[in-house]
Amino acid sequence: MQGSRSSLKSHYLAIGAFAVIYLLIALMVRNSYYQLIMTLVLVWATMGLSWNLLSGYSGLISFGHAAFFGLGGYTMTIAFVKWGLTPWLGIPLGMVVGVLAAIIIGIPTFRLRGHYFALSMLAYPLALLYVFEWLGYQEETLPMMRDAPARYMQFADQRVYTAIALVILVAAMVVSLHVERSRFGRSLLAIKQNQPAAEAAGVNVLKWKMLALMLSAAVAAAAGGLYAVVLLVVTPPTMFGVLTSAQALIFTLFGGVGVYWGPVIGAGILVPLAETLHAELGHIIPGIQGVVYGSAIIAIVLLAPDGIYWRIRDYLATRRAPIDTAERVAPSVPILAASKDERPRTSGAPLLELDGVVRTFGGLRAVDGVSLKIKEGEIHGIIGPNGAGKTTLFNVINGFLPADVGSIRFAGGELLGLKPHEVCARGIGRTFQVVRAFPRMSVLENVTIGAFVGAANDAEAKALAYAALERVGLAGARADAIAGGLTTNELRRMELARALAPRPRLILLDETLAGLGHEELEGILDVIRQVNREGGTVAIIEHTMHAMVKLADHFSVLDHGKLIASGPPGEVIKDPAVIEAYLGKKWMDRAQHPVT
Amino acid sequence: MGVVRILPVLAMASAVLIAPTPSVAQSEVKVGLIAPMSGPWARQGDLMVKGANLAIDDINKAGGIKSLGGAKLKLMVFDAGDSVEKAKNAAQRMVAQEPDLIGATGAWLSSFTLGVTEVTERVELPVLTLSYSDQITARGFKFVFQTSPTGGAQSVSTLPALVRMAEAATGKKPASVAIISDNTAAPMSFAKPMREGGIEKLGMKLPVDEIFTPPLSDCTPLIQKVRSSRPDFLLLLPTAISDDKLCLEKMHEFGLGRGRVPVISNGAHIGAPDLLKNLGKDLLEGVMTVVANWGAKGQDDIIKSFVAATGEPWITQDSISTYGDMMIFKEALEKAGVADRRKVAEAIRAMDTTTGPAHYFPGNRIKFDENGRRVGADVVIVQWQNGVPLTVYPPTSAVAEPIWPKK
Amino acid sequence: MTDWQWFIIDILQAFAAGLLVGGTYGLMCVGLGIIFGVMRVVNFAHGDFMMLGMYAAYYLVTGFGVLAFLGPYVAPIVGALLAGPIVFAIGWVLHRFLIANVTGARVVSAEAEGHYAQIILTLGIALVLANGGLILFGSLPISVQTPLSRESWAIGEVLLNKARTVSFFIAVAVAILLYMFLTRTSLGKALRAAADNPIAAAYVGVDVDRAHRLAFGLGVGITAIAGGLIASSQSFQPYIGFDFVIVMYAGVVLGGMGSILGAFWGGLTIGLVQQMSTLVLPYQLQNTAIFVVFLLIIFFRPQGMFGRVWERT
Repeated sequence: MQGSRSSLKSHYLAIGAFAVIYLLIALMVRNSYYQLIMTLVLVWATMGLSWNLLSGYSGLISFGHAAFFGLGGYTMTIAFVKWGLTPWLGIPLGMVVGVLAAIIIGIPTFRLRGHYFALSMLAYPLALLYVFEWLGYQEETLPMMRDAPARYMQFADQRVYTAIALVILVAAMVVSLHVERSRFGRSLLAIKQNQPAAEAAGVNVLKWKMLALMLSAAVAAAAGGLYAVVLLVVTPPTMFGVLTSAQALIFTLFGGVGVYWGPVIGAGILVPLAETLHAELGHIIPGIQGVVYGSAIIAIVLLAPDGIYWRIRDYLATRRAPIDTAERVAPSVPILAASKDERPRTSGAPLLELDGVVRTFGGLRAVDGVSLKIKEGEIHGIIGPNGAGKTTLFNVINGFLPADVGSIRFAGGELLGLKPHEVCARGIGRTFQVVRAFPRMSVLENVTIGAFVGAANDAEAKALAYAALERVGLAGARADAIAGGLTTNELRRMELARALAPRPRLILLDETLAGLGHEELEGILDVIRQVNREGGTVAIIEHTMHAMVKLADHFSVLDHGKLIASGPPGEVIKDPAVIEAYLGKKWMDRAQHPVT
Repeated sequence: MGVVRILPVLAMASAVLIAPTPSVAQSEVKVGLIAPMSGPWARQGDLMVKGANLAIDDINKAGGIKSLGGAKLKLMVFDAGDSVEKAKNAAQRMVAQEPDLIGATGAWLSSFTLGVTEVTERVELPVLTLSYSDQITARGFKFVFQTSPTGGAQSVSTLPALVRMAEAATGKKPASVAIISDNTAAPMSFAKPMREGGIEKLGMKLPVDEIFTPPLSDCTPLIQKVRSSRPDFLLLLPTAISDDKLCLEKMHEFGLGRGRVPVISNGAHIGAPDLLKNLGKDLLEGVMTVVANWGAKGQDDIIKSFVAATGEPWITQDSISTYGDMMIFKEALEKAGVADRRKVAEAIRAMDTTTGPAHYFPGNRIKFDENGRRVGADVVIVQWQNGVPLTVYPPTSAVAEPIWPKK
Repeated sequence: MTDWQWFIIDILQAFAAGLLVGGTYGLMCVGLGIIFGVMRVVNFAHGDFMMLGMYAAYYLVTGFGVLAFLGPYVAPIVGALLAGPIVFAIGWVLHRFLIANVTGARVVSAEAEGHYAQIILTLGIALVLANGGLILFGSLPISVQTPLSRESWAIGEVLLNKARTVSFFIAVAVAILLYMFLTRTSLGKALRAAADNPIAAAYVGVDVDRAHRLAFGLGVGITAIAGGLIASSQSFQPYIGFDFVIVMYAGVVLGGMGSILGAFWGGLTIGLVQQMSTLVLPYQLQNTAIFVVFLLIIFFRPQGMFGRVWERT
């Protein structure tokens, strides 16, 4: 996300300058050992970029990128040794194999999240390692082609390898840059920062993850193929070993995660450092090089936990703009003066129809046969005590949870069985009880993610996002603030804007008013009324009733997963069943037979 | 912040700016030794250095290289580390920073040797190696010389020798053999010709043929198979000491030890003092191993000085072989009369001697064929007898009679 | 004996081996389970702490021979148990000065909940420990000497290795004691609360920093005991931690993150799969079998065998 306002051109210039300078240094170096190290820096930087493409952007930590690296290297090697295929074609072939492997691995593994995903990824290269040993590929060497070395990527001058590696690295950097700055990267970032929020905001999580993995696998396979060409010997432990996966991860985390310069910085420092230590100390006190290297890593982590890139960037940012952070301007809420009475009453057709929806957790029936209708144009309050099943009901509607039985029809189409992003695409937005922001993005970026689903292109999404921000009173200076530093009130507004940005027909608000002061509450109520006046249908969960009485046209009351009452607010709050649900039976008795 | 900014500068500086060491005075001739000095194979590298240092001391004390006016040999050690990448980097560093090396020995693990020789071949630096893999000298390289018999060759000459031993002891030919090996390159190439008809040709059956991935966590199911099929002898081919220990203890536990099923292994680790420390002499009694080189008849002097200098209880393949490598370089330098790597390589290629360095290699002859394989390189069979691994085969090197356990 | 009888014996023998190996795996996983499963700290140096436990046991029993007076049968067991407190202390110190910087309440809001920093920090610690081990202990593979490792008890034709059997029962006993400590004592409950939800624990008056140090020390200490037990069956060198760390993570995830007993079952399952797969698959694919079973269990039961039901919202 960095430099979202600087143009693409300046990034190209920076990459180009880096490449030219690196190449010039490489051309000047005469020592073949340093030439080799300069090549390996690039290969490992490429491998780091591959890891960053998936894990850095999407936050799905992979411990198994060696699978793709190894497949790339082994495909090239076996094709060379068995069929005499030149690495010029063998490396692209390896990339194809890598992408296929990514699809086969991705389909089952993306069902898993967090640590489960990370460790499952670890299993693939290790299983492959043993399989390749079992197949008898313990030590494969690339035959020396004395006749036509260039045709088989064998050069006496090591600097040619540096140049080839540089081309691959620059390609990977450019790909990363474009991913970072497009809808692709923003969607991955949204997944990373808050997957449920991303799903609810209409991001097709599986699609983006899969694309990221495929791209990442192709880059890793290219790095693996080139690595094998440079080393000339491949063994399963060097290609599929845990250390190979770990290196990609260390270099990226060390240099800076989630930004394409990170792996380049990481490999640029750590590869020469490890090698220098190994060369200078390894034969004097065996093991000391590992101790020093390990200590260096520990020291850097403590100084720059997110990586060197971010540390430097933060440092420069605070020097450049020291005041910017402290200020926290109260947003000016547009007064959309509209009293309750002026609002157009609705008599629209049902927009959302629930019929006998049941959702159980183990033995608990969290939603127990709920049937209700939400009419087009109304504000529908869903109330009930804590644990009544209100949020679960929303989760079933927007696809986070499948229903066990029942049907949910929206504008005539069935919603059950759809994924959250598909539900969102049908025109249902939502907010959450606990605000689910993308904390490291700016307010505008947060809302833009939500707008993608209703927009044809990035520019339109941005325009929609601006419009939504204006509506909730966060336009202007606050739009560029980082979401992590907002007040509760601002967060609520931002989330509302994110849900509103694609202009949904129905918006589900989950305790949007919770934790707000009186004035703040009034401000949000105004926004909701305004949305409603413009034709939006609103379903809102609250368990404090007095705000709702002023807002809603219709109440549905849930208790223990069952719908116990439904009707105009005035009637519902007098319903004995509702009073009992809220206050308990004893209180209801007293209410009906007041002690005098 | 300070560290953050200084580190890259330092790293780049050390990688780019430091110039190669200037060439040394004429009175010194540099020989390289590239082997794992760190990582899981550090012990083997250590044994090689010990052998090389002893040889260089002996050479220098005896007046250095006479044809070069008594120039002293100097050992340059390079750490091949724990991966092919590190080994290849070390080789590249060796040839880039020590352009006046006249030769090198290494790199113990065959995959490392493969990577290292890809580098040395291109700068025409002669490399002597004790690695077994057939591939090392099957690539048409001109500057690599394998002093050990290749895995394939070892395999071919081992079986008949074992059969003869068994026949002499028990009076009848063995009828069945079991193979348990790990899947690393050395045992795989050792066992390959046996699996592919070698055993059948000798009229034996192969009831157990198991390959495992090291390291083992337990080897009950493996030894259970030996227990249930009772072969006449067992070829036990792990490469890691931890696997040796697990298997041999399990043999004992299952009542198969102490020769009830004779055990023959491959590689120097089975004869290493390390194993004695882990297992004790009872469990090792009678266990044999096939190696490329070992302390042999007539080497009492160096064995004695090796023990005195290093504190090791006896000399193993890695040390004696590296000792011999230094002697080959000395001989080649004397012949070449100039400290030039190409001339030294030529001298090694032309060498055909049964004296001098030949003394330190079984078969007692130094001559390399056009592939770089040593002519007449034969296996050595070593057997644990009363807590010491003794050479029992070939008879010319043997210091003890082989004991074939009778049932 | 007939082939068929041998076949049955083969199966029982493999099962017994799996069970006995699995017991120590289980204990190892319990240690990691506290740190990774409950505290959610990614500790890549865990195998290296186990290595320290092995060397601690070795020096107590064989190297310095402090425990030699206990005789060759008892000393290795006492040595293994004493490895626990020694490594506990090392873990406590490392947590206090290094790991605490990237774990606990202070990083909940950081990127990926501080996991990135934890991964590199603990990888750095792993490098230092393994290579420092090489400097301190040397590269020679060693083991704790005991006649137990080469003797067995016979149950019919099935032979149970004495060292493994004793280790198994000690592992089970330690795991049960730990479980009782964590569930029955107030200190144990406070530890679990602090590990599970540091912020909530702080509200109810638990000294979270102290509890985390204790929990981390406990986790590495328990694994060190498992290492000490293995040290009498297997020889080891300073780089051995790496061979075990993957098995441990697989065991914890298999059992279900956050479940201490689950971690034990996870480790046990891995032992059984590793040894019994050899009955039907080539021996070489022993470890492949582990990963395939791991993936299958995870796909069909993503929360692991004993994990809590995982909610998406």
